[in-house]
Amino acid sequence: MENAAANLASHLPALISAGGLAAVGAGLTAIGAGLGIGLIGGKATEGIARQPEAAAKIFGPMVLMAALVEGVALFGMVICFLALG
Amino acid sequence: MPSRTALLFLAAALTFLPSAAFAAGHASGCEESVNSFVVHHVADQKEAWHALPAVGAFPGLTIPLKPDFALAGFNMPITAHVAMLFIAAALLFVLFAFVYRKRSDRAPSGLTNLLEAMVVFVRDDICVAYMGKKDGRRLAPLFLTFFFFILALNLLGLIPFFTTATSNFNVTGGLAAVTLLLMVGGGIVRNGPLGFAKIFFPPGIPWPIYVLITPIEFLGLFIKSVALTIRLGANLMAGHIVIYSLLTLIYKLEWVGTIFIAMVVFVYVLEILVAFLQAYIFTMLSALFTGQMLHPSH
Repeated sequence: MENAAANLASHLPALISAGGLAAVGAGLTAIGAGLGIGLIGGKATEGIARQPEAAAKIFGPMVLMAALVEGVALFGMVICFLALG
Repeated sequence: MPSRTALLFLAAALTFLPSAAFAAGHASGCEESVNSFVVHHVADQKEAWHALPAVGAFPGLTIPLKPDFALAGFNMPITAHVAMLFIAAALLFVLFAFVYRKRSDRAPSGLTNLLEAMVVFVRDDICVAYMGKKDGRRLAPLFLTFFFFILALNLLGLIPFFTTATSNFNVTGGLAAVTLLLMVGGGIVRNGPLGFAKIFFPPGIPWPIYVLITPIEFLGLFIKSVALTIRLGANLMAGHIVIYSLLTLIYKLEWVGTIFIAMVVFVYVLEILVAFLQAYIFTMLSALFTGQMLHPSH
């Protein structure tokens, strides 16, 4: 038990370095992107379930919004890359 | 029996296997880190463009570039990305000059039909939709250039041994600078200097809050351009980074890593979708922002 705690404590200095924090940041932006695009996809699927003949009309805005949300996640990724070096 | 397209696709994907076997066999010799490998392949190539590698008796094709090109005192090195810009421009010029037809008695077919459908789509659903009929039609050539130029650069980057110019923030920054010029210049010319300043004071707000809102609105001009730059550049760079990172897994895991070929092919196909989508999004947002400046309705 205390062995595991000592193990974790020994890894902490590497985690708090630039590379470690950049990796944590990249993971957080991935969570944000996944949440956003998942919500968009879910609402779009709900709309299609209500009215199957509108599937093609719903698909267009869905893909567009997903790309915009992904853009925001990529802003975060660029900052993480800048934090690396 | 799977369709012809599916079989062709599978055959193309399987051509990755020999190179994967080669990589897996020679994995232990490499001392390079993952970071430097990925960054080296995604970044611009300044000295020479290694178009084709040396394989067996084939000496390979290396096109020398001019890193010290200067025009009237401005240092403009011709790197691999700049070469891509020239190639895309020449390609578009030849393509559109070739398919231009003055005859309107016959319906277009084939390549003309495809390009005409895309041109009409950009003109009607992007330019006229966001800027009105008159301005939309007058500014349509610029947005058509945005769309087809960005699309050509994105798709050229997907060809093996070619590089993606739009993954370079300088290229996308230049394109976003044109949009910024259009926003500011169009706003001043259309509304006059006073009308342009009035855009940053949205109506219906109690006047003490203008101290907060107006700087934010003004900065919003530049933030929109920076967002356009980073969105296009990062989207294009991210696909390549993922592909190269997955390829390093093959080096590290040796034979087990050949499974990741499937993932690489998947991301490659996704990149084709991203190429079209990002060209459309850049053009649409530029048209939207320009329309907001030309016809301020708030």
